[in-house]
Order: sequence, then C-alpha cells, then structure tokens
Amino acid sequence: MPPEPGNSANETRRDFLKQSSLLTAIALAPGAVLKAAGERWDEKIAGAIEKVPLHVEVNGVQHVVSVEPRVTLLDLLREELHLTGTKKGCDRGQCGACTVHVNGVRINSCLSLAVTNEGKKITTIEGLASGKTLHPMQAAFIKHDGFQCGYCTSGQIMSAVALVKEGHANSETEIREFMSGNICRCGAYPNIVNAIKEVKEGGLS
Amino acid sequence: MNQFQYTRTTETAAAVKLLAKEPAAQLLAGGTNLIDLMKMGIVVPQRLVDINQLPLKSIEKLGGGLRIGALATNTDVAESPLVKQYFPLLALAINAGASPQLRNMATVGGNMMQRTRCPYFFDLMMPCNKRAPGTGCSALAGYNRMHAVFGASNKCIAVNPSDMNVALTALDADVDISGAKGSRKIKFADFHRLPGDQPELDNNLQKTEIITAIELPFSPFTKQVDYLKVRDRSSYAFALVSVAAGLQIENNRITRAALAMGGLAHKPWRLKTAEAFLQGKMASEAIFKQAAAVAMEGAKAYEHNKFKLKLAPNAILQALKTAAATA
Amino acid sequence: MKKNAIGEPLSRVDGRLKVTGAAQYSGEYALPGLTYGVLVPANVTCGTILEIDSKAASNAPGVLAVITPFNAPKVPGYQPGAAKPVKGLKLFNDDQVYFNGQPIALVVADTFERAVYAAALVKARYDKKPFETDFHKNMDKSIVPQGGNYKDYTRGEADAYRNAPVKIEQEYTLPSEMHNPMELHVTTAFWEGEDKVTLYTKSQGVVSSQKAIANAFKLEEKNVQINSRFVGGAFGSSLRTWPHEVAAVQAAKLLRRPVKLTLTREQMFTLVGYRPLTIQKIGIGATPDGRLVGITHESFSQTAVYEEFTERSVNVSRFLYASPNANTRYKVVPLHVGVPAPMRGPGEATGAFGLESALDELSYALNMDPIELRLKNYAEVDPERNLPWSSKYLKECYQLGAERIGWSKRPAKPGTLRDGDWLVGYGIGCGVFGAYRSRTLAKIKLLPDGSINLQSATSDIGPGTATSMIIIAAETLGWAAEKISFDLGDSSFPMAPTQGGSATVSSVGSAVHDACMALKQKIYSLSGKPENSTDAIDYGTILQKLALPVLEITQESQAGEDAKKYSMYSFSAHFAQVYVHALTGVVQVKKLVATVDAGRIVNHKTASSQMIGGAVGGIGMAITEEAVIDNRYGRYINGNLADYHVPVNADIPQIEAIFIDQPDFIINPIGTKGIGEISLIGVAPAIANAVYNATGIRIRELPITPDKLLV
Repeated sequence: MPPEPGNSANETRRDFLKQSSLLTAIALAPGAVLKAAGERWDEKIAGAIEKVPLHVEVNGVQHVVSVEPRVTLLDLLREELHLTGTKKGCDRGQCGACTVHVNGVRINSCLSLAVTNEGKKITTIEGLASGKTLHPMQAAFIKHDGFQCGYCTSGQIMSAVALVKEGHANSETEIREFMSGNICRCGAYPNIVNAIKEVKEGGLS
Repeated sequence: MNQFQYTRTTETAAAVKLLAKEPAAQLLAGGTNLIDLMKMGIVVPQRLVDINQLPLKSIEKLGGGLRIGALATNTDVAESPLVKQYFPLLALAINAGASPQLRNMATVGGNMMQRTRCPYFFDLMMPCNKRAPGTGCSALAGYNRMHAVFGASNKCIAVNPSDMNVALTALDADVDISGAKGSRKIKFADFHRLPGDQPELDNNLQKTEIITAIELPFSPFTKQVDYLKVRDRSSYAFALVSVAAGLQIENNRITRAALAMGGLAHKPWRLKTAEAFLQGKMASEAIFKQAAAVAMEGAKAYEHNKFKLKLAPNAILQALKTAAATA
Repeated sequence: MKKNAIGEPLSRVDGRLKVTGAAQYSGEYALPGLTYGVLVPANVTCGTILEIDSKAASNAPGVLAVITPFNAPKVPGYQPGAAKPVKGLKLFNDDQVYFNGQPIALVVADTFERAVYAAALVKARYDKKPFETDFHKNMDKSIVPQGGNYKDYTRGEADAYRNAPVKIEQEYTLPSEMHNPMELHVTTAFWEGEDKVTLYTKSQGVVSSQKAIANAFKLEEKNVQINSRFVGGAFGSSLRTWPHEVAAVQAAKLLRRPVKLTLTREQMFTLVGYRPLTIQKIGIGATPDGRLVGITHESFSQTAVYEEFTERSVNVSRFLYASPNANTRYKVVPLHVGVPAPMRGPGEATGAFGLESALDELSYALNMDPIELRLKNYAEVDPERNLPWSSKYLKECYQLGAERIGWSKRPAKPGTLRDGDWLVGYGIGCGVFGAYRSRTLAKIKLLPDGSINLQSATSDIGPGTATSMIIIAAETLGWAAEKISFDLGDSSFPMAPTQGGSATVSSVGSAVHDACMALKQKIYSLSGKPENSTDAIDYGTILQKLALPVLEITQESQAGEDAKKYSMYSFSAHFAQVYVHALTGVVQVKKLVATVDAGRIVNHKTASSQMIGGAVGGIGMAITEEAVIDNRYGRYINGNLADYHVPVNADIPQIEAIFIDQPDFIINPIGTKGIGEISLIGVAPAIANAVYNATGIRIRELPITPDKLLV
C-alpha cells in the first residue's frame, strides 16, 4: 500500500525547499495519523479493538494477556511480563539484541507483533538454563568471555543456540556469517565464535 | 505507531474478500519490513490482516519446475532441498540478504513487496515522491550513493533492495496472484516496475490482490551459478551492487547464460543483452569482460554513485568467473 | 582454597548474570506506577520555536504530560544567576533550536506505545533561521577553541619539515563516528518528596551524575541517588549527564511518578555525542636516511554552535617520535549539530590515523621499512615534556607484533602480493594514551564468615571492573577470589572517578589495593603483630579471635608526587594483514595482532577481550563507519544501525592480543597502565597502511569502502 500523501509531507517540502526564514507548521506524523487523532478516531474504536486477548507460552509458562495489536513481542516480554533479559538495541530489526525463539526458530522480537504469536511457544534467555545448570552455550560464553557489557549477549546466545541446531556452525567462516545478525559493539565476535565452536564440537543437546 | 484493527484470516479467499471490501487494509506476513515502516510512520494502516495462517507455505515440485508458496519464509526456501538442488542461485541470493533471524520471519511474498531503503523515503521530514507523491525527490541532488544507474526517472532514483528478487528475475520466475476478479499469472520480470511518473508504485500488484506463489521453471543453472553481493560490510547490509549469474557451459562454450543485478534500478535488473552476447561464445575472462561492458550500456550515474559504473561491470566479471569455475 | 593472583585469567564474576539475562540495566526496573517518556525532536535545524500545538498529543489515550519550553517546570540550575549554571544544551528551557533533532517536547504516557504514538502528534511552528552543517564549506570559519584549555605547540622551529630533503604533506579526513553502544540511552527517575530523587541511568560515572543532577535541581548531593550497576556499553557516550537525563528527572517531579525515558537509536545520533568529523593537515619531513626533521600537525574539528568540544587529536605528534622540531595547531568549526563527546581513544585515535598514515607515506618516500623508520626515530624520553617515561616497551611491541603477523612477507613494493583474486598487504599503526590515575575511595569490609566485600562508586561499561578488582584484592589480601565481592554503580558508595580515560584499574584498583593493605595492617595491629608482618591471615576466624562483629575501613588513594617526574603512557603497536579484492575493492581484514605495553595485566582473559574489542572498533573506523548529514536539511540520513555500519561478526577475523606485561610501579602500586583506549588507537592506520601496501592506493579519507578502491 502506498503511503498516505499526508499534509505534513507537503509542508515538509515547502519548508525545506525554501531556505529563507519563514513560519511553518510541521507535525512529526503523517496526515492520516493527525486526522485520526483530530477526529478522535482511535478513541472511538478504542473500546472495541484496543486490546486483543493473547495466549502465549513463554519459557514453559502459559500466559493469557490482553494486548494492543501494536505491541511488539519484545515490548510484551520486557514491559508486561518483566522478562528483561531480551534486549532492545534498535527496535527496528537492525541489531539482533531482541532475538528469541518462537516455536524453536530464532527471530527478532522487535519486528513481531505480540498478537501474531497466538498459541506459540516462546523461549527467551531466561528459559535457556535448566534450573541452576547453564545451557552449554551460556557456559561456553562465560568460558570464552564472549561478551563485555553484556547487552547484546542474550541475543547472541539465543542466536548461537539456534545456529548450532540449524546446522550452520560448520566452520569459523560459516559461524561468522550466520551470527552476523547480532551486533556486538564491544567487539566480542572472535570470542563468540570460539564459544560456538566449542559447543558445536562438544555437541549440543 | 498508531492504533489499528487486527484481523487474522486462515483462508486466501477470505483475505482477498477483505481487501476488496477495505482497500486501506494492509496484509501482514513476516512483518520485517511492514512493522518497521509502521514504526517510522511511513505506513499508517487502519487495519492489519494477518495472513500468516494462510495455506501458502509449501514448496513443491510441479511438472515443469518448482512452486513456492508466497508465505514460505526466506529460510524455508534457502534451506529447501528442492531449491538447493534445482535453483542453488536462489538459495545463494536469499542467504546474502538480511540476517538469519529476519530470513526466518520474512516471506517470499513479503520480500517481493519490500520497499526501498532510500534514506529519504524513510525520513518523514524530507521530500520523497515515493512516500509522498508530488513532494519531490531528495535523492536526485542529495546523497545518492546507493541509488539507481538504470531505469530511473526524474521523480525517483531509488533501488529495489531485495536479493531474492534478483535471483528470481534471472531464473525466469512467474508470479501467481489472486484477486477479487480471480487469479492471474505474470512474469516475475514484469512484477516490479520502473518509477516513471508514479514512483509511489513499486510493482504492478493491485491493492486488492494477493501474491499466492512463485513458479520457477526448471533451468540449466543448477551448478555454475554465483550470487555476488558487494556491500559496505561483509554481511547484514544492503547491496552497493549485486549480481546473480548462471551459466551453462558445454565444451567451454556458453550455451546459455542468466544474468541479473541488484542495487542498480527500481526493479531487479535483468541483463538480457549481456546474456544474448554470451550465448554461443567460448567462456573466457575476455568474453566475460565484454559482456559486462554490454550490460552497462545506457547506465547513468549521479553525483555519489558514479563508482557503480565501474563496480557493476567488475562485479559481473567476477560473478561470471566464479560461476564458470564452479564445477 | 585456591588463591588468585594478578595475571591469572579469571572469568567474569558477573558472567552468570549476563548470560542468563538476569543482569538489570537502567531501563529494566519495574517500578510501581512506571510511566514512559518519549522525546519529540525538532525538524528544523536552527530557529525559534513560536508555538507548540500539543492538543492532539495531550488528548491521546494514556497521555499524562506533554512538556514543552512553554510549560516546562523550571530547572533551577538552568536559570540565569544560578550558582554553577549548567553548561550546554538546556532542554525545554528556552525556545531556541540549535540543531536538527534537538528535543522540543517530552511526552509522558502510561504505556510505551501510547507515548510513542502521542509524541508523533505534537506540532510545532518555528521561525526558521539559516543554518550551517556543512563542515567542508565552513572550514574557513574555523576558530581557535575558546574554552581556554587549548594552546598551540611549537618545539624547535615551526614547520621545519618544509626544509627537509624528503617530505610528505597530506590531508587526512575522518568522518563523524557514533558510539552506538548496544543499549539505548535510558534514564528512569523518581522522586521521594520535594528534595530527594533516585535515578537508574546509563552512566559511566555515578558520582559525576549525582553532582550534575544535584546541581541542576539544586539538591543536596546526598539526596540524589544514582544507580548504574550494569551499563550496556558506552565508549564515552555516558561520560557526562545529558540534557535528556535532566528532562526525565524534571518529568518525574512534575508527575510525581517514576518516568522512564529511553532514546531511540535515531536520537542517539544527535543527543549523546560522537567522534567529530576532523580534517588533519600533516607535514612530516626527514633526512634521506630516515631521521625526522620536523612534524607539523594541524586539525580542524567539528563542534556545536551552543557548546564547544575539543579533543587532543594533534597531541600525538608532539611526543610519539623524537623529532627535533614539532608544532601543532588545532581549530574547531562550530556547526548546527549536536555536541560531540569523547569516543574511545578520543582525539588520539583521530590523531594517530593522521600521524601514522603520514609516517607510512614517508616510509615509502624514503624506501624504508615502516618499522625501521619508527625505530630510527624512537623517543627514548618524552620529547614534549623532556621527562623520562615511567616505562616504555614500544620497541618490544614492534618486534613481537612483526613476528606474529608475518611482517617478513610484507612486499616492499605495494600491489605486488596476490592470493588469487585478492591483493594482500601488511600495515602497522601505533597507539599511545596517557596512563592516568585519580583520587579514589574504596570501602573494605571483613565479614564474620571470612568473606570480604569491597565497594566503590565506579562503573563497569564492559571491561570487567569487578572481576579485576577482586583479583587485585585476592592477591593483596592473599585470599581466594570466590570469598571476595566487589560492588559498584551506586553513588552512595565511596567516591570514585568516572570510568573513562583507561584509568579505572589504575585509580580504583589502587584504592582497592590500599584498602586491602589497610585492612591487613589493622588486623596485624589488632592482633599485636608488627605492621610489616608478612604472616598469612586467616580471614575466616580473625573476627572471632579479635571478638569483633565486622571490620570496615574506607581508604583513600591517590598518586604521589613522584609521578610528576615522569611521563606516563600506555603504548600499542597494531599489525594488520588485509586482503583487497582486485575487482570489487572489498577489504577484508584477515589478521590483526595487537601488541601492548600497558604495564602489568591484572586479568589476561578480560584484558585480551578488551584489546580485541578495541581492535573491532578500529576495524569499524577503518572500513565501515561514517555518519552522513544531508546538509540541505541538517539531518543525518543514516541514523540507524542498518545504514551506519558497525562491524558485524563476518567482518572480524581472529585477533591476537599480546601483552608485554611489565609492571610500572611509578603509576600505581599494582603496576598497571590502562588498555581501553590504546586497544583502538592505531588500528585504523594499521589497516589503511595495509590497504596501501596491498593496492598502492592511499586512502586518506575513512572509511575505506569498496568504491574508494576501484581503479
């Protein structure tokens, strides 16, 4: 669907194309949003659609919640379920810090609306260890010092666990490529690769 | 992000019906592009129709080729034994795009519908004819390093960002489409369009239609293929240029060639004249170089993307060399 | 019981918390009644805000407040006449816009989604004024820094290189680079009553944050509690208290509820600093046998119109090599942009790219091996201050690094070594950074079970501070590491400096060392043993024997006068082997070796990681990172992690860190110097020099993207 040709865009153009001093009104939202707000559209429909019931299993625990459709899985986990192990680094699918497993598959939870996960099984970093026993990948990250600040770590580990399962951890080059959806600004990449190699070679349950 | 109504549908016909009734509704598949666009305020739907439950996920062998459901994820396709066996070029291209997590979410249909990464399209505060028709193209005289050298108009010089699309173009795919008026099939090469005077339209899909499948006819390009993507970092980055190359070589003679490029145009760019040039010639670096030069005829660069006039033919040459050298 | 000693590798003591997701960062405290703050950025680059229409936003569901310059409660420290007025940008205090993206309003709502949505509804009317964001166009308007800290420098004769028989005169450009820590900058604030506030905030220095917030709101420092136990990276972006942190506190006061204000990734491109775009003009001259005659180093650096930022990009040329003549000049170009901030290896990283590139160019002009050229001009004493080095093992770094990278395979003639379709080259770049130490306090507690707890108000942005402190304590006390804990990130702990300038182990480690020594002395004196006793102490039973419930000492530590007689620096030599694709210009760093003279290494495990991490940052600086502004609009056009390219795993080879590991006890009692900055400084020129060696193409404007290497 093409974007709404909102008023703001026209004003934006007029605004930017003339460099002289002038008065302008620019809203930071497209016309459609403003129109909806002006007509109190969102409040009118709020009663009917504001929240949708959702059943998800997170780390083996069943949750029945009621969420606005615009809530992402990431924000549901962090703000609603207080599972803050899953991190927000960009909120746009550009860093991988929010990686979780949905039905065993790694995804970016920041680009997944919570409501689209109806009936699914979510695993987050908090659900990886069995009791006090760390998952081998968690232990390997500690052993190989695969992190520094720790902020990307949950996403890295969730990705790494999935990667071994996917069968793409067969060489350093392959590990690097298939771990490239998880950015680490501290630069722990070589240690992360070493941790994954060890788990892969030792077998991963 | 604005509030919107959310509807789940499990039947393709129901989704089509909904679209006909409510053309402002927006289909939600993997969401990797749409949710981002909604967060940025670029797409503001009043209703999302979640089509992830539609039975459009299968990848199957048909008489003359493969049929890939529009809701098969990028990973499903890249990992499919059938795809790897018959269309390794497609698997290579898909794996060159995005990240494993995004490929697990993104679908074939969604990838086809992926919008440009032009920075001006993504910033509500800057003019963009694609986002807000009639406001002007900021890229024309702006930072146009990532932009088109083929098929652009003075309204828009954005490029299609997909890798998958490049391979599907080279492989002569067809697109199956369902709409209120029934089903139709179009050539993949005709699916995306050039910007012309209507850059807001990326493709020829009607608002009330839904992509149901991709059909790939069996081709000789099962071994000697390469997908070369040149980018600013080694992975998880959009292409400066990319090349999908397939060769059929018998006794060192090229009997058939397939070539398409990404990062060069508003649509995946098929290099038909270069393919024709290669056909029947002996495979050699000199011939590949000439084909690359043929491919670049008519290219037009802007202030910041002149390097593509050099990089693109070099990339073609390299991709052909690699494909030819693949046993 | 195993006793840990300095030098032995120890896994991070907070590792388990980090790999299980249990480590809580500043945006992860579920406070009762928590509200969500979202900033509204200006979309003009310079001007006056005439009006803000927040009606739609205020009416949107769940919105609790829309704070604008026209209704914001006054921040006392922002007002004219305030004692110690707050420097820099004062959000919502006046109607002026100095840069595109400057927040003009703060929307607070009961959920994150509602706050984000409402923020998009805020409208503003501006009186727009002309603006300048184009650095190149405005270089002629550069000015000498006004802050008073900067002085031009001349040793011997100025511009002496001009008369040298062999000389290089070149310009080197570094684009603006963003810190981009993975954690979004976030502050959660809540008040108790009128005069007491608590913050969970992303901070490299809880004490400096405490002072800044206390000063802004004119509170007693003890009534400002700052918590920053886990920091998701920072690299300099959290060295200071930013205006949005003050705004969160302001909003929390207004609403009398906890407010969590999180910046978006896009907002982090304008609101939390960056390494500023810098052009360096370097002249370097030598005699035909490679003795330096003179170095002239001049820098032009971007700053903001509303606040001046300076860094030491020219200073490396004063002391890294023994040139008889050297002079430096430094100017800033004020633009309508956000203010820069120190970023890992601030100034020196920029300067080293210039100087080490120029020296490399000189080596080819002289037809001399770059290492030989460096050895020929090795500074045996600090030529700038004419003082001996407290320690310097850079020669050893050259030698070890050259061996490990395989320097002997380096082609003397560029562009002559190939591996298939790839051109291969080798390069060297050196790093240097001051070895600092500041006054620090640490508290030590001996508990009845024989465990030791240490506290200091330092931070840990990732180097593994607590782990290192525990090792230092373990060795000093002769006690097992697992019996020792170290707490940080809390402003109520004894005073520690901000974590920056590679000085934490030196400053806080010294305080920990001294606190441990003081505890031992105390125990000896209580048990009647001589002060200099070397007897082992059984901490498990000592309190029982002494009939004490607990022993607690707060110890202050700082450098002695002796330190002033020396020049104190850490040194590094980085070696890169790169592959450049002959057709596509793609650069792959195949091998990187970092050789380091950073004094004694406390924990080889975390120190190696830090060196590797700095090298990764250097690879980004060299080949991928560049923040781009469209000067027509004054807006960043790649303000996100898809278009601003932080290196990914596939960009990074195995990286080897080699430590000389010689203690320097002049700086501190542990013998450390610091590695945070030198891990990055010198990496980018090593790669750029290797690219030249591979291709014969000299790239003087980073990053080295494929388009620059197409011939």
